[in-house]
Amino acid sequence: MNDYDLSTMVRESVADIHSATPVAQIISQGRAVRARRRIPSAVTGLAVITAAAAVLGLGLSGAFGSASAHRAGAFETAAFTLVKHANGTATLTIHPNELLDTAALQSDLHQDGIPALVNSGSFCFSDPKPAGFAQVVSFYPMPSPQVRNTPPGQATITFHPAAMPAGTELSFGVFQLSSGGQQADFALIDATSYTCTSSPPPFSSRDGVELLTGSPAG
Amino acid sequence: MGVGTQQLDFAEFYRGTADECLRAVLVSVGDQDTAQELVDEAYARAWASWRTVSRHPAPKAWVVRTALNASISRWRRRRREVPVPDPAKVADLPATSGPLVSLVDPRIKAALLRLPARQRQVVALRLILDLDTARTAEVLGIAPGTVMAHLGRALAALRHDLQSELTQENRS
Repeated sequence: MNDYDLSTMVRESVADIHSATPVAQIISQGRAVRARRRIPSAVTGLAVITAAAAVLGLGLSGAFGSASAHRAGAFETAAFTLVKHANGTATLTIHPNELLDTAALQSDLHQDGIPALVNSGSFCFSDPKPAGFAQVVSFYPMPSPQVRNTPPGQATITFHPAAMPAGTELSFGVFQLSSGGQQADFALIDATSYTCTSSPPPFSSRDGVELLTGSPAG
Repeated sequence: MGVGTQQLDFAEFYRGTADECLRAVLVSVGDQDTAQELVDEAYARAWASWRTVSRHPAPKAWVVRTALNASISRWRRRRREVPVPDPAKVADLPATSGPLVSLVDPRIKAALLRLPARQRQVVALRLILDLDTARTAEVLGIAPGTVMAHLGRALAALRHDLQSELTQENRS
C-alpha cells in the first residue's frame, strides 16, 4: 500500500461525514459572539462631531443602560454597528471614515423593529413635523453647537422604537462632504406624507439632528 | 460590503467548506458530536470576525485552527472540573458509539485514534483539508520539517496497522 492509496483510504473513510448545522444557526451564534465583543467599545471612546440644532432629552442613560442589558443580536459593517438591546432599544455606532451602506442600515433597522427611511444623497422630511423626536432618538456625546469641529470620532445613537408615534418613521439622510467626511441628518417623519430633498434642510430645535462624522467640516 | 452581501459571502464559504472542516476536526478529536460543536463554534467566531477572516489566505485553515484551539481550551476547562483523559492519549480510548461508528470505517478510525494527537492533526490538515506543508506548519505553529516528519510517521503507523488487519482478514 503506497502513500497515495493510504491517503485516499483515509479521505474516503470520512467522506460521508457532513455538517448538520444550518448556516442561519451559525450566523445567529456568531452575532451573539460579536455582540459580546462589541458592547465595551460601544460605550467607550466616543466623540461626536457637530450638531446643527437639537435638544435631546435622553442623554447618556439610554446608551449605557441598554448596553448593560443587551443579550440580543447585533449587526456590524465597516461603517456602523447596530446592537439590539433586551429593553427594546437599539444602539447605532457610526464608525468614522467609512462609507455608510444605507441599504444595509435601513434593512438592519427594520429587523430591529425600527421603521426607517435611509437615503444617501437625499433627506426626507414631513411638514408639519411629527412631535416626539427627542423621545425616540438620543445621542452620545450629546451634540451641541459648542462641540463643532471637534476631532472626528464615533457617534453613538440610541433608538427608542416604543416611543415612536403611530404612523411615523425615522428619516436618515447621509451626505458625503467635500472634506471627506459624512453628514448624517435624522428626523421623525409622517410615513404617509413626506418630501425628499437632495440637500439637508435647516433644522429648528427638537426637529431632528445633524451629525458630521469623519473629517471635520472645517 | 453591506451586511446582506457579507452574509451571502459567509454562507457561500460555510457551505463550501463546512464538511471538509468537520472531517478534519473529526480526524483530530475522534468524536463526531464534539467535532460538530467545535466546528460550529469556530464558524460562529469566523462570522463574528468575517471582515478579517474573509481576507485570511486560508479561511478554512483559520476555522480548523480555531476549532482545535477551542478543543484544547475545552479540555483544560474540563480537566479542572472532572478527570478526563489527555487528548494526546485519546488514541488509547476505545471507539465511541454514535454516528461516527456507522459512518467511518472502524478499522481506519481505530488506526487514526492510535496516532498521537499531533500526528492526527497533521493528517487532518494535510490529507483531509489538503493544506500544503507550509500552511500546515503555520496553522500548527511548528516547523515545516516537523510537519513532514509527523506525516511520514503517521502514514507509516497507519500502513502498519491497516496492513496487519488486512493480512489477518485474508488469513481468516
